Amino acid sequence: MGIQGRKVAVVGMGGVFPTCNHLEEFEHKLFSNQSLIRYWDKALAHGKNIRSHVAGFITEEEAHLKPVYSTLVEDYPETYIDLLNRIPDIHLATADIGSIWTMLGAADAIKMAGWSTSEVQSEQTGVVVGSGSCGNEIQRIAWHSFFVLGKKTRFAGGHNVDRAMVYREAANLSCFIKNKGVCEAIGSACATGLGNIGYAYRLISFGLQDRVVAGGAEGTALESFLGFDGMQVLSRGFEPHESSRPFDKDRNGFVCSFGAGIVCLEAYDLAKARGANILAVIDNYFNNSDGDGDMFAPSFNGQRRLWQGLLKNIPFKPDVVKVHGTSTPTGDAIELLSVVDSLGDKGYHIAAPKSQFGHMLGAAGAVEFITALLMLKRQEVLPCLNAVNLNPEQETFQTTSTWEGSKEPLAYYRDLLQQQSFTKEINSITCLNYGFGGTNSAILISRDDQ
Amino acid sequence: MERQEIIDGIVEILKTIRTIDQEKLNHVTEETDFIADLKTPSTEMINIAAKAEQKFDIEFEDEDIDDLGSKVKDIVDLIIKSKASN
Repeated sequence: MGIQGRKVAVVGMGGVFPTCNHLEEFEHKLFSNQSLIRYWDKALAHGKNIRSHVAGFITEEEAHLKPVYSTLVEDYPETYIDLLNRIPDIHLATADIGSIWTMLGAADAIKMAGWSTSEVQSEQTGVVVGSGSCGNEIQRIAWHSFFVLGKKTRFAGGHNVDRAMVYREAANLSCFIKNKGVCEAIGSACATGLGNIGYAYRLISFGLQDRVVAGGAEGTALESFLGFDGMQVLSRGFEPHESSRPFDKDRNGFVCSFGAGIVCLEAYDLAKARGANILAVIDNYFNNSDGDGDMFAPSFNGQRRLWQGLLKNIPFKPDVVKVHGTSTPTGDAIELLSVVDSLGDKGYHIAAPKSQFGHMLGAAGAVEFITALLMLKRQEVLPCLNAVNLNPEQETFQTTSTWEGSKEPLAYYRDLLQQQSFTKEINSITCLNYGFGGTNSAILISRDDQ
Repeated sequence: MERQEIIDGIVEILKTIRTIDQEKLNHVTEETDFIADLKTPSTEMINIAAKAEQKFDIEFEDEDIDDLGSKVKDIVDLIIKSKASN
């Protein structure tokens, strides 16, 4: 059952992105069809012990940060120096890399939103930001100090908890901007970024907050990369810029990436009254679970119900679908077939930004939401890079008696998937993200003048 | 080890704690209070203690850290006591 709530506007965005100094550079590279994926020296250093050697990583230098290494624990960055003086030392002391990126992205997003200090520090301003991992880099080195080296717990310092706790990005951001409303983190694996934005939308729509800073972050950490590499789900065998290839028949896994995406949401009437530049209006957010007891496999029925929930009471269809599109063999096929099951095979296009910067895990949904805002602004559709050859044969699951979706092979939908960005009238965009555990999230945004 | 030598060592440690106002480290005496004078965040006190253990090659008892006062002279006394017993 849906509840008719307040209209919600998106009024600011910011973030930290691989190979980019700022949002404008990110925008330029995306719409000029560039890849942000590179060979990763940290992965290469481990030779054959790691399968995949490409990533969308961000070094400390690229974020204008300098690590201060502990004298007590080897290779342990006990804090960072912000070379551009954007964040006070007191907040850097409690933050891991992902939390620092969150604060940087939020500062840009709030500036774009044009919120006053009193508005930011209001009881009506919330913070909802999450991550897919749990301070892996911070924990590993501290635990090594205790378990392997036999050092006292205090040798890991006094910030092991605040730099690694589940809602560290939200907590650090809240301390940084001094808001007095809610401060929470939603966790839903690779749907985390969008899940936090969706939850923030509900907080405003239901009248619990007037403004929310929301998004997701995934700090560069080889520790996070390793888990997926061990599962054999990461892309291998291609040059970096060709490694992420959603929907292409030769795809063999996703590219593990890192970054942060932060947006500012505001009650539409308030934003309109103060003359804010409204980047988009959120028409609806819907999320559900597969309900099939499978931790990993994507569910056609789960995604079909997701679309039904998203578009219930919505009198139009999106012009663009920003897909999850990870470049995994089964996931992409199920997703494309669930999209066409809901929208048909004409009248819209598919954008797959992971083809350009990989899978940012807990940040993916938020950074990709920002790509949707950019598409809306520019009236251009982002590409599905490397979707060179679509399978002309049916997927195996399409030949089973229980399959309820389209029997057409993926190649039949070639026109939906362009390999270069292109101009198009875009009034509304749907963003999709899914996560381990069978969680599905979808959001629908539109231009303000619709 | 002279007390001033220990104070100098403590100041070197404090220089690595970025949340302490570095300008205040020019006038550290035995009566300087970590909390009141240097505005040291309480979470940094444990870092200072651990780094003191490393720098002076000693090991504090947990009880002594629990009971440690907030003045420089308190940690100087503890370092001297620990050096004598280690």
